[in-house]
Amino acid sequence: MNEERLKQIFLITGGIVLTAFCLLPFLWMIIISLGKNPDFLSGQTSFGFTFNNYTAIFTSSSVHLLDYLKNSLIVSTIAAILATIIASLSAYAITRLKFPGRILIPLLLLGFSMFPQISLLGYLFKMLSELGWINTYASLIFPYVTLALPLALWIMLSHFSRLSKELDNAALIDGAGRLKILSKIILPISLPGLFSAFILSFIFSFNEFLFALMFTIDYKARTIPVGIALFEGLYGQIPWGYIMAAAVIAVLPIIMVIALFQKYIMQGLTEGAIKG
Amino acid sequence: MPKNSETKQGYIFNIPLIIVVAIFIVVPVVGTIITSFFRDVSFLPEKFIGLENYKRLFSDTHFWQSFEFTILFVLISVLLEIFLGTIFALVLNENIPGKGLLRVVILIPWAIPIAISARAWELIYNFEYGLFNYIIIQLGLSSSPFNWLGSSTGAFFSIVISDVWKTTPFITIILLAGLSTIPADLYKQAKIDGTNFIKRFFYITLPLLRPVLIVALLFRTIDAIRIFDLIYVLTGGGPGGSTTSVSLYAFKYYLSGDFGYGSAISVLIFLLASALAILYMKFGRLTEEFK
Amino acid sequence: MPNKKIFILIITILLTLTSGCGNNKKEFTIWIGGSPTEVDYWQILINRFNDSTNSDLQLIRQPTYTDQRKQSLIVSLEAKQRNPDLFLMDVVWLNQFAKSGWLYSLNKYAKEKDFSLNNFFRGIINSVDKTDGTLYALPVFLDVGLLYYRKDLLKRYGFDSPPETWQELVEEAEKIQNGERKNNKNFNGFVWQGAQYEGLICNFVEFIASNGGSIMQNGEIKLNSPENVTALKFMRDLVLKYKISPGNTYTEMKEEEVRRAFQRGNALFERNWTYALKLHDSKDSNVKGNVGVALLPHFDNNKSASALGGWHIGISKFSDEKNKAWKFIKFVTSYNVQKDLVTSVGWNPGRKDLYSDKSLNKKLPQLKILYEALGNSVPRPSLPYYNKVSDIMQRYINECIAGKISSKNALNKIQNEINSVENVYAEK
Repeated sequence: MNEERLKQIFLITGGIVLTAFCLLPFLWMIIISLGKNPDFLSGQTSFGFTFNNYTAIFTSSSVHLLDYLKNSLIVSTIAAILATIIASLSAYAITRLKFPGRILIPLLLLGFSMFPQISLLGYLFKMLSELGWINTYASLIFPYVTLALPLALWIMLSHFSRLSKELDNAALIDGAGRLKILSKIILPISLPGLFSAFILSFIFSFNEFLFALMFTIDYKARTIPVGIALFEGLYGQIPWGYIMAAAVIAVLPIIMVIALFQKYIMQGLTEGAIKG
Repeated sequence: MPKNSETKQGYIFNIPLIIVVAIFIVVPVVGTIITSFFRDVSFLPEKFIGLENYKRLFSDTHFWQSFEFTILFVLISVLLEIFLGTIFALVLNENIPGKGLLRVVILIPWAIPIAISARAWELIYNFEYGLFNYIIIQLGLSSSPFNWLGSSTGAFFSIVISDVWKTTPFITIILLAGLSTIPADLYKQAKIDGTNFIKRFFYITLPLLRPVLIVALLFRTIDAIRIFDLIYVLTGGGPGGSTTSVSLYAFKYYLSGDFGYGSAISVLIFLLASALAILYMKFGRLTEEFK
Repeated sequence: MPNKKIFILIITILLTLTSGCGNNKKEFTIWIGGSPTEVDYWQILINRFNDSTNSDLQLIRQPTYTDQRKQSLIVSLEAKQRNPDLFLMDVVWLNQFAKSGWLYSLNKYAKEKDFSLNNFFRGIINSVDKTDGTLYALPVFLDVGLLYYRKDLLKRYGFDSPPETWQELVEEAEKIQNGERKNNKNFNGFVWQGAQYEGLICNFVEFIASNGGSIMQNGEIKLNSPENVTALKFMRDLVLKYKISPGNTYTEMKEEEVRRAFQRGNALFERNWTYALKLHDSKDSNVKGNVGVALLPHFDNNKSASALGGWHIGISKFSDEKNKAWKFIKFVTSYNVQKDLVTSVGWNPGRKDLYSDKSLNKKLPQLKILYEALGNSVPRPSLPYYNKVSDIMQRYINECIAGKISSKNALNKIQNEINSVENVYAEK
């Protein structure tokens, strides 16, 4: 049928466009990172395939690529763990216990998530300075937990609300405390939800830029988005080869995460969106 | 007795969340609002000045330029994202081979830190040896290279394109979720009745997609107003300040030591985002009523 | 027990947080940016200092670009960080840094027996290193704007010395440009920095001062003087009327663009800082051996003027190693180290006495001109809100040069906007 053919064509073209669209900059990153001359398109130089860029950024002590990566991984993981735990605790209480404000809390949190980060930046900077936390992991972890909480909470809320309260009631009758119920009964069967919340919080924290830009000063706490954004390299002119090589290394963790956990990410995002 | 302990427990479980939010959101927001009423400049003694910062802001042409830029950017980007997002969602909704792979691919622009992909874009937009100018010249679309980052128009579109690239996946996923809630029977029935693809799209898909579309629009608009990372890395707000978003404008004041003025700008941005959120919710509810 | 598990997890996390950064160690650090060769040389200097005084100063590399260096410094200082203990500052930052309470007073150190302020240029110390009578920094190296010229071309066209007035420069440039364009259509008479950035202000300051004009009068900014109007109009005429400066002067021309144009052989006259001299004489320079250096020209019945640039060193108010830091400052501003800076990296010493050093003068004949230029040097306004003033000036001066507004209008507009800025930022 004509329509079937049209649909086929539409889908195939759509698929190709989608793939090309999404992958273009990433592929370009890889290509340039493997060449000696980033300006080979100007026709005045050849491409010059080489792995030099990668070896250079790893062996140069002033690049601090591994430091940035380490900082990012630590900060993002801890923030994601904390966000998931805190969200689970709150979500459990909201779906299981009656107390004034149980509807208000998620709504308020949703409202807070609309805040532009810039509105928090100035005063947060002063607070963190007073605490002496500037250029430490703490200066990033706690703000990231706060920023990731709204989505994490909505994900856990939607998961817990689908679990029957009978499970809890049965354990309650046996004399179990709420916390025990949560940890021994509810959480184990909510792993997909926990996972979604964790991964989304991780991705969000890993990608954060504004706070990391202002709250960290050097390689001791600086995260990788800031490191790559400000990367000037070792010599005067912008060393695109090095930057792209560093960029490829920097995004590898994220690519791995989404390749492995695409399902959870999709689930988490749609839940957060539909509920919102 | 159960009621009381339930309330107590309810609060106890929420203590971590309340503490974290109170310290890292409520306090900074209140602090920012208060600071906006002060002259807080690194080389001057602190002084309460009431609405002075706001008065200054209202007659600050550079601020209004950045405001115009931000609004224009939001309008164009969000429209393009919704358009592309819908198409991509329709593609992903079908059972085609490679569906799993496509779903990973679609996540890549969204998952990569924008500060990093912005550098790849910097290279793609390069005047002398960037990919886009190469393609433009090779395809004969123009005889001379286009000044992507060095002209205000060029920089504007560079930012729009890169932002659309980055956030279309997010829209796509949301719309995809919406599409999946539309019962397949509706389409089957329509096909039997003989309605063609286009009619099915406009009379079944779109109307049922509307609530999700509104949510997507809402989130994206409020998000787009905050744009910072991409602009900071790609254009630095230039050339000549023509691509400075309101967030970047506030940031520059913080960086130069004028926290008072930066706070006032931040408060305005926050009010703007809130106003938009309220507007959307009202509008969203209205269209719900109309169905 | 789940309670315990969560508790332990949280404690572990908190411990990781507080220990994962090492900000508790006492460190003695200096932040240096700039070109890689410069930073490399600083490392050598610091090693020498550490060896000879048994110290542990660490060099932390900063970005190359001035703006980024300033930004990261400001963040650190606003956060009252203990590091860096020492840092270099562009001459135009000094007032802002001092007035913001970020610098430690050097008064007591300057009074020490083995140190004398007389070894430095009094005018410069008083106008930029001291704020409200307190000494906050010392010059490490100074910089001035100079006129570079092609000796061979002047000779070929019958001129036996570089121009002393702007009128002479225009005449020589027009004649030679016409001649050279026959073979090289990229040739320009005079290249200088006219893009919209800080460097434009340096050029501007030189043009107006060489006509007897100035930015400040009686401690206040007053720009719309007839001398300034004439000088600014001349800047525009160079590009649009006499056409001896290229069309991209006001869009692209910054230090490196100007230097490269001259070094490729595409310019007769160049206005640039002193760093260009060494490069013009390098192996792959098309103008090697043909470059002369002179004071910048002036308008009739006036004096040559050079913008004052350079970098100064100061101690952070929040440093935990202030005495050690002073030792390094003494080291870096000592006679021998400064002499070495000149011969190794080609910087101009911050110390006055070095300009009369015989062996130096033999090695670098241009030292005499540098000394004269320093005598004619014009600082940019010493205001804590200077960068705001500069932004406004850059915008309208650039518009004027591009032919969009007249010089009188430009200066009036600048004056108006600066008045509003002063209402906010001038001390009241």
